[in-house]
Amino acid sequence: MSHQTAHKQKPAFAHMVWWFLFGGGGVVSAILLPVHVLVQGILGPLGIVHVVDRHYDTWIQVLGNPIVKLYLLVLIALPFFHFAHRLRYLLVDFGLPAAKSVPAQVVFYGGAVLVSLVTIWVLLTSAPISFG
Amino acid sequence: METATSDLVKAPPVSADAAAPATPRVYKAEMPRGWWLRKRHYFLYMVREFTALPLALWLLWFLVEVQRASNGPNGYYPHSSPGFVVFSVIVLGFALYHSVTFLRLFGVVTHIKGVPSRVIVLSLFALWLVASVVVAAVLIGFAR
Repeated sequence: MSHQTAHKQKPAFAHMVWWFLFGGGGVVSAILLPVHVLVQGILGPLGIVHVVDRHYDTWIQVLGNPIVKLYLLVLIALPFFHFAHRLRYLLVDFGLPAAKSVPAQVVFYGGAVLVSLVTIWVLLTSAPISFG
Repeated sequence: METATSDLVKAPPVSADAAAPATPRVYKAEMPRGWWLRKRHYFLYMVREFTALPLALWLLWFLVEVQRASNGPNGYYPHSSPGFVVFSVIVLGFALYHSVTFLRLFGVVTHIKGVPSRVIVLSLFALWLVASVVVAAVLIGFAR
C-alpha cells in the first residue's frame, strides 16, 4: 500500500511544478504585462511620454542592472509556461485531442523552456552586467 | 424490501457481459465545430484562453528589442512603426482581459483560512494597480 502511494506521488509532484509555473506565469502576465504594453508599446512610440527604451544610452544602462535582468527574465519567460498550457487546451477545445498527448506536451512546455533559455542568453549578451 | 436491495447490487446479467467488446470502450467527447460560438459564455471562455497568443507574440517582440541593445549605440533602434503601435493596442485589450479574468479566478481558487475570496481578489487588483504605477514610474523615470 505504502509502495503504491509513493509511486502515485511522482506525477503529483510534476503536476505541482507545472501548476506553479502555470499559476506564476498567469499572475506575472496579469499584474505586469498591461503596463509594459501601454508604456512601451503605445505611449513611448507615440512620443506621449519619454520611455527608457527609446534611447540606447538609457536602455543599455537599465539593461545592465542585474535586478532588471532578473526582473525581465521573470517577466518574459514565466508567462510562456502559462501560455503553453492555455494554447494546448485551446487546441483541444477546437477539436484537436492530440494536443493532450505527451509529444504535444513536450513541444509546448519544451517551447516554454526554450524561450526561457533564449531569454537568459539575450539578457546576458545584450548588455554587460553593471551595478551603476 | 430486502430482496429489492440485493436485486440492485446483483451482478449484471450474462447477456450484457457477452455483448461487451473485448477492448474497453473509450468515451469520446464529440464537440460540434463552432460550439464556442453558440453561447456568449463559451465565446468569452475561448477569448480568455486565446489571450495567450497575442501576449506571447508581444513578449517575443519585446525580447527582440532587448536583444537589439547588443547592436551598440548606432545599431540600436526601438520599435516605432505605426504597425507596432496598432499591434500593441490590440494586445493591450487582450492583456487587460487576461488580467481581469485571471486575477478574479486566482482569487477564487486561492484559499486562505478566514479570508473571504472577495478580499483576496480585491488585494490582487490593488497589487496590479501598485505594480503598474511602479513599473510605469521606472520606465518613464529612467528615461531622458
